[in-house]
Amino acid sequence: MDPFSSSSSSLSSGASGSSGPSAEAMMDQLKAQLAQAYAEEFLETVRSKCFEKCITKPGTSLSGSESSCISRCVERYIEATGIIGRALFSSPR
Amino acid sequence: MEKSEELQQFLEQEKQKAMISEMVGKLTNVCWDKCITGTPGSKFSSGETSCLTNCAQRYMDMSIIIMKRFQSMQ
Repeated sequence: MDPFSSSSSSLSSGASGSSGPSAEAMMDQLKAQLAQAYAEEFLETVRSKCFEKCITKPGTSLSGSESSCISRCVERYIEATGIIGRALFSSPR
Repeated sequence: MEKSEELQQFLEQEKQKAMISEMVGKLTNVCWDKCITGTPGSKFSSGETSCLTNCAQRYMDMSIIIMKRFQSMQ
């Protein structure tokens, strides 16, 4: 059974039933929702950072150099996230 | 009962993950502005890399100092 498509109905029916909602299904659903929330927030940040860096004077269309700046910017931002994570959690301080 | 404990532990873990992810996200945001001053290249310079590392670690140092400062005010 697909835990996502059936989750809302199983939650409501589970609450009135004797067994309650499956903890497993709830955890899976929460995990998926959190993952989506993280991804959305990250994307929004990358958009604003790279717009700031690469689209300094918006023209009538996106230029080739702007596009390549954007792809470099996205790659670097992801790399920077890794560097910060390592700096905080895996280097001797 | 056993299930709610399991759920409790799961939520605690996710809370931790959320805090870590928020911290990393926030510091990347702040340190990116401080350290990446030019247009992003195809590779970070060593200066940019060490700036990012230092930026994150100094931010943590600062947080500790501020926390201590506030604790001593109580």
